[in-house]
Amino acid sequence: MKWNQNQSIRLSQAFILLFSGILLAVDLSALWLAQWFIQFSMALSDSLHYRLLLITLYGGSIFAWILLYSLWKLLHNMKQSIVFDPANIQLLRWTGWACFGGALLCLASSFYYLPFIIITIAAAFVGLIVRIVKNVFVVAESMKNELDYTV
Amino acid sequence: MDIIVNLDVMMAKRKISAGELAEKIGITPANLSILKNNKAKAIRFSTLIALCNELECQPGDLLEFRRESLEH
Repeated sequence: MKWNQNQSIRLSQAFILLFSGILLAVDLSALWLAQWFIQFSMALSDSLHYRLLLITLYGGSIFAWILLYSLWKLLHNMKQSIVFDPANIQLLRWTGWACFGGALLCLASSFYYLPFIIITIAAAFVGLIVRIVKNVFVVAESMKNELDYTV
Repeated sequence: MDIIVNLDVMMAKRKISAGELAEKIGITPANLSILKNNKAKAIRFSTLIALCNELECQPGDLLEFRRESLEH
């Protein structure tokens, strides 16, 4: 089977749906997940940690939904051959800020549970990559405009 | 600073419509409209050659440099 662009986009969309499903499951079971994690962890023990973990989970979920929605819209636009467009640049901007927002939340959470610092660094690094991709799209959009208005 | 495209003037002199001119020089009416309405950011030499050939004029008859921008 020959692999084409549309199939590639559909595969990416399928992964977004998969992550959305996982995120929804986490949102719905956050109370039990946090409880289980407290029992499993040696570093967290009391009700304060439980509440803080819930704040981290639900707060992180907001950024994750923004990220997933932005990526979904981006792929939807690409499917319609809308690529180097101000709308896509805005979506990439939101994606980048969602990553940085998540990184900031994890940085704050690392004060009560140090391993969150790993997620902080990972999220910030992904945010940086997305920002650079957004910069590329900005230049590409201006080049496309130049070309569109060349007669 | 702007480059003004005086295509309307030459088209009126040669009594040729936009659709007819677009077809003769091999560009779409939409692109010709972009040129006529000074929305173009660049023009290919091939397009300029085709316009000058069809309208029997010089590039200077079509393109005018103006120090004041059209948009204020």
